[in-house]
Amino acid sequence: MDDILIKILGAIATVILAFTVGMTYGGLSRKVIARIQNRIGPPWYQNFIDNAKLLFKVSNINHGFMQHVAPLWLIGMSVTTVLFIPVLNTGGDSWYNSWFPNLNFHGDLIFLLYLMVIGSLGMALGAGQTGNPNSAIGVSRGLTQMVGFEVPWVMALVALMIQYKTTSITGLMAAAEQQGTWLAFSSPFATLAALLAMPGMFRYSPFDIVGAPAELASGPVSEFGGKYLSTMMTSGSIFAFVKLTLYVDIFFGGANNLVELVIKTFILYMYPVLWGAVSPRFRTEQAVRFFWGWPVLFGIIALIQASL
Amino acid sequence: MNSLIILLFILGGGALLSYFAFLSKHAFGQAVVWLVAIASPVYFFTQVAVGESFSFSLGGFELALGFNHYSWVFALLIMVLSPLSLIYSTGYMKSRLRLGTFYFSFIFSIFGMMGILMSRDLVSLFIFWEIMTWASYLLVIYRGKDVEHTGIKYMIFSAVGAYSMFMAIVILNREMHSFDIATVIQNFGNMNAADQWLTGILLLIGFAVKSAVMPLHVWAPGAYTNTPTSFTAVFSGGLSKMGVYGIGLVLLNLYSHSDFSQVGIYLAWLGAITAVMATFRAVFQNDAKKLLAYSSVAQLGYIVAGIGLGTELSVFAGIYLAILHGAFKGTLFMAVGAVERQAGTTDMTKISGLIKNMPWTFFAALVAIIALAGIPPVGGFVGKWMLYEAAINSEHMFLVILIFISSTAAFLYSFRFLFGLFLGQQEEETAHIKEAPAVMVVPMILLSLFLVLMGTFPGIIFKPIAAGMAELGFQGVPWHMSVLYNMWGDSVNLTYVSITFGTVFLLGLVYITLIARKGTKHKLSTKDIHTAGEIPKPEDNLNYSLDFYKPFERVLSPLLKHKLDVYYNEFGKGLEALFNFMRRIYTGNGQTYALYVVVFLVALILLSGRIFGI
Amino acid sequence: MVANPILYIALPLFTAFLVPLLAKLWKPLVRIVPGLVLAYLAIMSVVLMQQVSPEKPIIAMIAGWKAPWGINLVFTSFSGFIASLISILAFFIWLYSFGFKKVEFDDAQKYFILFMLLTAGSIGVVLTGDIFNMFVFIEITSLSAYALTAFYKGRDGAEAAFKFLLIGSFSSIMLLLGIAILYTYTGTLNMAHLALLMPQVPMHAKITSFLLFFVALGIEAEMFPLNGWAPDAYSQAPGPIAASFAGILAKAGIYALIRVSYTIFDLGDHGGFELLLVMGLITMVVSELVAMRQENLRRMLAYSSMGQMGLIMIAFGLGTKEGIYAGLFIMFNHAVIKSLLFLASAYLVYYTSRKKISDLDGFGKLLPLTSLLFGLGAFAIVGLPPFSGFWSKLSLLIATANSHMEFVLATVLAVSVIEIIYYFRVLGRLYFRKAHKEIKVRKPTWNSVVTMIVLALVIIAVGVHPDFITGLLHNAATDLADKADYIQKIIPDLFSQTLN
Repeated sequence: MDDILIKILGAIATVILAFTVGMTYGGLSRKVIARIQNRIGPPWYQNFIDNAKLLFKVSNINHGFMQHVAPLWLIGMSVTTVLFIPVLNTGGDSWYNSWFPNLNFHGDLIFLLYLMVIGSLGMALGAGQTGNPNSAIGVSRGLTQMVGFEVPWVMALVALMIQYKTTSITGLMAAAEQQGTWLAFSSPFATLAALLAMPGMFRYSPFDIVGAPAELASGPVSEFGGKYLSTMMTSGSIFAFVKLTLYVDIFFGGANNLVELVIKTFILYMYPVLWGAVSPRFRTEQAVRFFWGWPVLFGIIALIQASL
Repeated sequence: MNSLIILLFILGGGALLSYFAFLSKHAFGQAVVWLVAIASPVYFFTQVAVGESFSFSLGGFELALGFNHYSWVFALLIMVLSPLSLIYSTGYMKSRLRLGTFYFSFIFSIFGMMGILMSRDLVSLFIFWEIMTWASYLLVIYRGKDVEHTGIKYMIFSAVGAYSMFMAIVILNREMHSFDIATVIQNFGNMNAADQWLTGILLLIGFAVKSAVMPLHVWAPGAYTNTPTSFTAVFSGGLSKMGVYGIGLVLLNLYSHSDFSQVGIYLAWLGAITAVMATFRAVFQNDAKKLLAYSSVAQLGYIVAGIGLGTELSVFAGIYLAILHGAFKGTLFMAVGAVERQAGTTDMTKISGLIKNMPWTFFAALVAIIALAGIPPVGGFVGKWMLYEAAINSEHMFLVILIFISSTAAFLYSFRFLFGLFLGQQEEETAHIKEAPAVMVVPMILLSLFLVLMGTFPGIIFKPIAAGMAELGFQGVPWHMSVLYNMWGDSVNLTYVSITFGTVFLLGLVYITLIARKGTKHKLSTKDIHTAGEIPKPEDNLNYSLDFYKPFERVLSPLLKHKLDVYYNEFGKGLEALFNFMRRIYTGNGQTYALYVVVFLVALILLSGRIFGI
Repeated sequence: MVANPILYIALPLFTAFLVPLLAKLWKPLVRIVPGLVLAYLAIMSVVLMQQVSPEKPIIAMIAGWKAPWGINLVFTSFSGFIASLISILAFFIWLYSFGFKKVEFDDAQKYFILFMLLTAGSIGVVLTGDIFNMFVFIEITSLSAYALTAFYKGRDGAEAAFKFLLIGSFSSIMLLLGIAILYTYTGTLNMAHLALLMPQVPMHAKITSFLLFFVALGIEAEMFPLNGWAPDAYSQAPGPIAASFAGILAKAGIYALIRVSYTIFDLGDHGGFELLLVMGLITMVVSELVAMRQENLRRMLAYSSMGQMGLIMIAFGLGTKEGIYAGLFIMFNHAVIKSLLFLASAYLVYYTSRKKISDLDGFGKLLPLTSLLFGLGAFAIVGLPPFSGFWSKLSLLIATANSHMEFVLATVLAVSVIEIIYYFRVLGRLYFRKAHKEIKVRKPTWNSVVTMIVLALVIIAVGVHPDFITGLLHNAATDLADKADYIQKIIPDLFSQTLN
């Protein structure tokens, strides 16, 4: 009984951690981009304020059931994923370590990949129902971009899975621990492919074609406001944390304690943000061609390396 | 009387009876169809069992019928999907012409499929195969659309497939002196390598045609599109699985003890390539039915890849996917048929926003699409997962990548399908459309509930599949009610997934419904949208439906430029030129013919030394 | 009832000459009497087929002379099977023709006389045990066939008949020459005796004579390139006659060819079978390819018919008992199915002078039953189960495979695909096109409907339960394969002399 209780409490703690970290990173990224553009920018906690404001908005608009439940797909997906990835290494010895085990200990990568799609699909359906053409255009771009970056990303993962004969994240982390180096060093090409695919997931410029502020009036989310947008923002923050942790877990040796986790994820997070701050937007087909160029080549090399 | 014969009698007799019943009175016909749709599954599930057999002699051939555990799995699919589609048909086909022909061919093709599955010798297998083929051909051309092109194409490919199978069967008979499948398996070693390869390839061609493997797939999109939709559900969901059944039979059963089984991996590659190419084509379709047709080809590609790969897990995944594909593609075609019947078209550029008009259909389609895309927590995920893991475990990494590209691109058409028909702008012109009648909706909903159930408890059908696998030489395949294991011991526990996702979703639903409840404005028109300050005029088109994935099309344009179809057509034209040349032999001139006679005689006499060896 | 093979020839010949006299009594007798006679023959066939077995052929001597000196008729399991097939089919074609077209009395009289002659001649070819007699019967058959081809007075019919006549006369000359050569060396005309004495004939003479026979009978059996007459004759003759060309005339021709190759000449193992096989293959391929491009329904059927004859030649060219069995099965199926197709097509193209396939659009609605039966015939002829054509195709393929002829196997199957294409193209037009405006159709008369339905039922019955005829076919195959037995049964004395 205690076991289950701890699991549930631990799950809640994990979600709260993910939410806080994700929101803070979101605020920081706005600040960083502003500084690069020679503006002062909002404070780091601006995202918390925005979220709260949206949440307490009195009037909300929806066009139908699918739009009503769309944010739930997102939040359901991001919460489930955060519970299924190991936040910290098992080897860590801090007192809070036992709070963050993943639910399914052999959390499987293929499973995770598919789980991560639920949100996009729900979002797409919700956006579709609003009838706003910008939403549909945004969705069609988003899905296209996804096909683009998933290819090198999956190549990298498959290469690792075959190289280390395991399909679970914990298995990969154990492998890294066993060989003593990060997988980023033992499988450099897979890491390279995965890193090049990463900006596509974060949708910062030059891959912000989905929202495309000046063009599509924020794309899929253009009809969402108030509590809906707030839920989506929450989910987005959690999901950002999920992605970063996943990268850290797989390629950069995981983290033994929260400080290490924050440092590693923040550095990793700055990479798409900084790239975005200095790049203009791609067109959709350019984005796909980008992902299917060098990243795929690295992916192929990684696969060949894995099979040797 | 033997229960197998009675089952065949119900189906075959029902087919004939429905034909004559529709000749006399429409109500009689409907009654017969209902009778068959209820009687055949009831009889099947209560009276028929694995292990019963029936042997008889016909035309000098010893024939034998009987299910084994392997064919039983497919029989389950057929006997669930077909009756549901039949019931669905009674709503879908209302007020159409030539219903007698339609139901005759429909039920007769079910008869053929069940016959194939219970055939224990190659002659009866072939007979039922041909019956199934021509019955389905009659349905492909039933609507009279494009008969000379699509219909003939289907028939040509089917005939090529069937005849290569035929050739293999008679050669096997020469070597084995028997048509019995068990004997063939036993005496296989006595055959020389050349014959093994020849017959193996020929049989595979025969089965690959029906399961639409590249390059033999070109008939499929057209045929699936032209068939009345209620049959397409069975056509794509059940009939194509006969090819899968056959491929499994050939690779894992007949030829499992020879080098020939190596061919499986090439087949797996063909399957994966088929999946990718067909998915790309599906993405750019504007017609929902055609989209599903291409998607069927793609999904069959996965299944073939699974069977071809030949490891325990991959075959398991292949068979599971075959069953699941039957369920979700059946549902999807039914949904599209409902839309077609209610809205009059399946062109996604013409209709949109039907979710309000047809909520139940939308629900069924949504579940089925989630299953198709392989997203948890619906059953399709289970099959996808096992397929990937099997390919990764056996280290066919580029194969994994191909399959992955295909199933990621599948999200594109999955969304397109749902968006195109059910979401988007709700227009004045479509406001009158109503939900389809209950006889059409209920089968869809039943199938979609089955899919949801599979998402958490796939063990329900793992059980018969595992039994069937034993028939293919994989003894004692481990399976669990809701935990998936791969060959390296990694696992996914589906109950965790379902419970977590379900809990968050439900909590969220309560939360998002309750918060600011009073201020939430429901049921706004889809015209009432945010347009960044611009006020759209009534005549402005606010629906994004044409060139939906144009950027993606631009990326893929070099790949899509070549269509296999074109080469086949060129080949056909070349043949026609040859035929025309041949025709000139018959000049219509009496003297010429007389000359032929004389020349022939002289030539024979001159060559007589050669001919008679003196 | 009196059942004697002689009646097969005597009765129809007698009727043919009696008809003009009967007409003086009561005009409808012209139509009725031939039917009664044919019905009698059909029933007699059934009776005789029950009596006959490979061990016990029925041999009838004319004028009491024993073979080889007298002329005899040999009703064995093989020849009897073909003769029965012909006579039963002839009865049904009569039934069909009974009210097919409203024609003048003179024409009707002419038609039935010629038809009786055609039947008598064909059965004669099959039953006779004498080579010269066979020649005579072939002449009778051919002459009536020429006349029937030109039955519709007009340029086309006359031209077709002329071509037929021209080629046919070649056939006669060659046949006569072949017989003359044989007679010079053996001094006998009895087929059994000829077979017995064949080893004495010098090789070159034997071959020359065989080739003359081969070409002459090849013309009758529609072998390529000797079949130029066939498409014109089939398409110009009246519908039921086209059916009887396929079901009766061609059967007699192929029978003669096989009888001569198998029984008389002992060349089978020296290349005779290969020659037959190769010519059959070429005939089949060329005919089916040409059929593919036909725009005229009757011509298409004619070419398809030639293709089937090629298939039969292939089956017999295999030279095995299985091959013979398959060949006989195809002969049976071809007779029944092709007759059905020709009979049905006669109504489909009744009012169109050009008999174009493109004129058939939408006939499925206009003539539902006829179209359905045509469709059934098409399904059966391309060999789809559960129709009779499937079983013959199966047995042919088994025989071919067992003879290790993969190439022939593949070719036959490839050609079958082509066959499917052109037949199904017609079906597509019948059922899935809008009918042309102002199209005139003729509803089939009740007697032709009965005929067609009976044929269709035979097709289905044999398809579902082939054992109805496999016994007969087995007996016939056994009979033909055992040449020594044939000789012994007909001329026992001479046979035992030679053995000693």
